[in-house]
Amino acid sequence: MSSLETSKSDLKQQTPEYRPGHSGVAASASVGASTGRIPVPRLPRRKGRNREGLEAGKRSTRTLLWIVLAAALVIYGFPFVYLVLTSFKTPIDTIAVPPTILPSEWTLENYTSALGRSGVLASMINSVQTAIVSTLLSLVLAVPAAYGITRYKTPSGQVFIMAALVTRMVPPVAIGIPLASMMSAVGLADTPIALAIAHTTISLPLSIWLMASFFEAVPRDLEEAATVDGCSRLGALWRVVIPVVSGGIAVTAIFAFLASWNEFLFALLMTAVRSQTTPVVIANFQTQFGLDWGSMTALAAVFSIPVILLTLLLQRHIVAGMTLGAVKG
Amino acid sequence: MSTRNKFFSFAALGGLCTTVALVATGCGAGGAPAASGDASNAVTVLVEAGGKAELTKVAETCKAETGVDATFVELPYEGLFNRLSSEFSSGSVSFDVAALDSVWLPNFKDAVQPIDELFTDEAKKDIFPALVKEAQVDGHFIGMPAWTNAEIILFRKDLFEDAKNKADFEAKYGYALAAPTTWKQYQEVSEFFTKDGMFGTDVKGAVETEWMAHVLQAGSPMVLDADNNVIIDNAAHKEALDFYVSLVNSAPTGAAQVDWAAAQNLFNQGKTAMTRFWAHAYRQIPEDSPVFGKVGTAPMIGGSAGVAGVPGPWYLSVPKASKNAENAKKFIKCAYDHNDLGLESSLGLAARISAFEKYQDKPGYESFEPLIATLNADATATRPSTEKWQQIVDTVLVPTLQKAVAGGDTTALLAEAKTKVQALIK
Repeated sequence: MSSLETSKSDLKQQTPEYRPGHSGVAASASVGASTGRIPVPRLPRRKGRNREGLEAGKRSTRTLLWIVLAAALVIYGFPFVYLVLTSFKTPIDTIAVPPTILPSEWTLENYTSALGRSGVLASMINSVQTAIVSTLLSLVLAVPAAYGITRYKTPSGQVFIMAALVTRMVPPVAIGIPLASMMSAVGLADTPIALAIAHTTISLPLSIWLMASFFEAVPRDLEEAATVDGCSRLGALWRVVIPVVSGGIAVTAIFAFLASWNEFLFALLMTAVRSQTTPVVIANFQTQFGLDWGSMTALAAVFSIPVILLTLLLQRHIVAGMTLGAVKG
Repeated sequence: MSTRNKFFSFAALGGLCTTVALVATGCGAGGAPAASGDASNAVTVLVEAGGKAELTKVAETCKAETGVDATFVELPYEGLFNRLSSEFSSGSVSFDVAALDSVWLPNFKDAVQPIDELFTDEAKKDIFPALVKEAQVDGHFIGMPAWTNAEIILFRKDLFEDAKNKADFEAKYGYALAAPTTWKQYQEVSEFFTKDGMFGTDVKGAVETEWMAHVLQAGSPMVLDADNNVIIDNAAHKEALDFYVSLVNSAPTGAAQVDWAAAQNLFNQGKTAMTRFWAHAYRQIPEDSPVFGKVGTAPMIGGSAGVAGVPGPWYLSVPKASKNAENAKKFIKCAYDHNDLGLESSLGLAARISAFEKYQDKPGYESFEPLIATLNADATATRPSTEKWQQIVDTVLVPTLQKAVAGGDTTALLAEAKTKVQALIK
């Protein structure tokens, strides 16, 4: 989240750089509109200053940054690495006192046990279904909402975007129970679509905010140039603006997908036999009479794979989305 | 194409996508939906994770005998309570039978139906007395015990049978080394085995049940008397707490954070010579554990009031809002009739005395005889019947215990606990 927030503030700061009449950026932007990219002016490289990111600056600063980065990597990565290693341990190894990092004997027994358990495969399918539908719903609603708010700066639009954020301040459990009753009343009890709608209530407000900041970063000249070339308003949105913010859409999609993929509370309250998702099934390995660490970690590791793959596949778009508008003229 | 036409094209595309998504996700991958009263012979049974394995064989037999087809919905322990609370409060339930933890019965007593007709005289004789008492709330039986548990003593048979240990122990304490039956023996055996990096026992500061069992052994009801007066500061509570704390020197450090899982791990790793633990744990010792095949069992220890334990039963109940109550009751009756089928599951527990007795002499079920003895003991009693019990546990009993095992003054702690419990139940 922090990186997203950073990019959002960056975008706001950068927006004035693209206003009409400022340097040659606007003009070159309109030219680049047909390719769907914001052209980046090439700056002359200065000797000794051609390094970027962690390679930039003094050696001592760079070393410090690398140390901080390595420490952060260990802190964030260790729990997941430990989880994966535990999934290859024997039952007695998983509960060793004191705990061991590497398995004394490697085994796939936990994976066989976890994946062979009744309902696990169905729960994975349900998780995929629910996350995809929730992501689509979030994008279908957030993109036009954010576009409308940023392009038609009406008072009602500003009230709406603030109100959308306020919904995030309500504890999910407070809306989970009435939501479950409502879904039951309309015959959607225990269905993935009901859960996807519930998950959309979580991701939609932040999706609108994210998309709004991405749209803010797109110069109006792009659309004006497109309309001059004969595009309608919707045509300009579809052919010019959407391609420009595709990185932002990818970031928003990842955010919405993850919010649904990992969600537990609504899944617990609203699903039963046919639409139970994997987070609930993972939690079921802990009973009042014991905890099956091996199987739990094995299923959690398998459950992480689709998200890791998705992130890797969309990596380029995500980075582009994070830095959208962060180019100075 | 005009703007209007494009708008309609986008709208049509969006509508089509939404329709496809709705159709695709209208049915999940998990099979038939769970809903109360969907089919004439189907019942949906809501259980805690692990409950399905316990009841699967029972359900198969019930389907063959009565035609009632049970579908299980498993939820994690904490989640099950939330789900039950939300559905009961909404008045619309998605299940016909619910497995309720004994401590939840007072909370849900108004949401479930009486099942008095299932508690025949014969049935009442075959269910442990404490459970018969607990199942009855406001004059009606509202839950049929499905399985129960209690703490017994698990000990390292190999260490207790070692000739040198036997001789050394007798020389030091003046009596033969054997599974302890009294508090004093438990203290001394624990002290004896605390050497060479090993500990005699564990002290669980993060769970209250064991302290409560010692309170019963000292001859007092737990926390509240029959008239709901708070008695947590009486002599029996203090005596039990002092005994509990006295074992800290024979247990691994960090007692305040030790819970069931930690204590079980310590024993299965061979770090402790004895543990007071739920009986099911005997059958769950991993085959690759250093103590596998070396564990003996004995009834829970006794105090001045004799042996006592706190049973941990689960009850099958029928929600008032179920549209399929008749089939639900048929399933519960069938589950009672075939209660012994649960004993071959991974959890391996039942609720009927006859079911435990049927298996107690079979190899691998050595924990059943001490379990029956503990559950049948005169001083054994269930937790107080109050909706506030879980709150009392979380906010008073466990914090008190943690402070006590960390060296706090037990008299002062119990006085403080009394005030807090009084505030909770007023």
